[in-house]
Amino acid sequence: MAKRVAILQFPGTNCEFDTEYAFKKLGAETEIVWHKNEKLPENIDLIVVPGGFSYGDYLRSGAIARFAPIMKEVSEFAKNGGNVLGICNGFQILVEAHLLPGAMMRNDGLHFISKQQYLKIENNNNLFLSDMTVGEIVKAPIAHAEGKFFIDEVGLNNLKENNQILLTYCDENGNKINPNGSIEAIAGICNRERNVFGLMPHPERAIESILGSSDGVRMLQGFFK
Amino acid sequence: MEKLELLYEGKGKKLYSTSDKNQFIAEFKDDLTAFNAQKRSQELGKGILNNEISTIIFGELSDNGIKTHFLKKLNERDMLVKRVNIIPIEVVVRNVATGSLTKRLGIPEGRELTTPIVEFYYKNDAMNDPIINDEHAVIMGLVDKSEELETLKVQARKVNDILKPFFAKVGLRLIDFKLEFGKDQNGEIILADEISPDSCRFWDSTTGEKLDKDRFRQDIGGVKVAYEEVKNRILVLKKGYKAIVNIFLKEGVLDSAGKAVNHALGSLGFGETVNDVRIGRQIVLKVSANSKSDAEAQTRQMCESLLANTVIEDYNIEIING
Repeated sequence: MAKRVAILQFPGTNCEFDTEYAFKKLGAETEIVWHKNEKLPENIDLIVVPGGFSYGDYLRSGAIARFAPIMKEVSEFAKNGGNVLGICNGFQILVEAHLLPGAMMRNDGLHFISKQQYLKIENNNNLFLSDMTVGEIVKAPIAHAEGKFFIDEVGLNNLKENNQILLTYCDENGNKINPNGSIEAIAGICNRERNVFGLMPHPERAIESILGSSDGVRMLQGFFK
Repeated sequence: MEKLELLYEGKGKKLYSTSDKNQFIAEFKDDLTAFNAQKRSQELGKGILNNEISTIIFGELSDNGIKTHFLKKLNERDMLVKRVNIIPIEVVVRNVATGSLTKRLGIPEGRELTTPIVEFYYKNDAMNDPIINDEHAVIMGLVDKSEELETLKVQARKVNDILKPFFAKVGLRLIDFKLEFGKDQNGEIILADEISPDSCRFWDSTTGEKLDKDRFRQDIGGVKVAYEEVKNRILVLKKGYKAIVNIFLKEGVLDSAGKAVNHALGSLGFGETVNDVRIGRQIVLKVSANSKSDAEAQTRQMCESLLANTVIEDYNIEIING
């Protein structure tokens, strides 16, 4: 049976259709869910909080979206073990909603960064990356101004101990580089229970070689096994 | 802030120590007592109402320059207060004759006194809180020096001058009330205890209906409804404040924008002068609240839930009138 994926849409979201395209291509049934809805569709296997600039990034990225009516349901869904994936602004929203630890800050260089970025797979014991090998290098675009992941020392140690760091930034040879100043060059994490995921790169924009990379397919494929 | 040890249990409240030696937690009980606890009862939810009413009144008094032991309302029943040593004198202010003034001296019930009266009672259950004069108080050592009695009287009259018009605005006649004072760790005399329908008499300005503990003393009934009425009336007495919230990245969190500005100032020749730059956000809110401390408490909640990201940011709040 096809996997059912709900894709959230806030005012200012702009990646919902790319995300829909990607997940449909991989065989999922998708439904876009407006932020004012108070109910999620039934029998869903995954919620994706897509990228964009929800609420114009006012105050802090993701800070206002977190209080949208649908987010109550998302929290409930996640707490009951449901899978949630936040991409870019979606990652920021999940952090603001305390579904993922840490916080997002302005990039070190203070610029909006938009480019293809190499990433290293740091962990494959999770839903999405189970088909990949640790240390493998993939390529996907990043496009953000507030993608610098911050977490305090205790939090960072927790991430390491529980293998919650899933992706880091690197160059094409796998050497660590840091485009935005993220602590330990972290690009993606999951929660302790391994059902909530957040990453700054856009796998949904890397699903056909004509786009510069099709590695996004491999980054999402684990979910369809 | 958590309750540690039960220090004292009175008729209306329990007092607990906290991890801060200069702060106590007062828990408001549902017990009702009268005639020096010879008559007892319980009224479910009364403590919650008294905590709420006292919070509003302490806020109003502190907005008007009266120093009180009130720090903040912690939850439904608990109030965080400054630690004081209670002066064992109940200070009573009367605007209208009733109660003991009528029984003892025969002044007709309901007569408006030409000038408010301040009375002292020795706070002592075993002796039925007897009325005393200044000389008694000094001789009994209830205060350290006689000037302190003057402070009690002046403060009590000021409280009356603030509260009488305050309650009049919502159709409540402030008949009389009891205050207790204490000395804080600097030896300063500040207002303590509670101010509620347990410690005040309120009559409705038009109907004359009693909306205080006399309903219990005189078996009129509807105690909780009356207390609720007092709360609801004063709750609408909101004033406009400006809440100025300053939000900064926490110490130790790299402020990239601050660093860039610091660098630019350096190239302008201020490198010797400027050691560090932190850039924050200022959010100015116009709020309606019962008092400054109410405005602050609510703004703090807004900061914690939305305005600041406390993982990376610190904030401070300034409340000004208008």
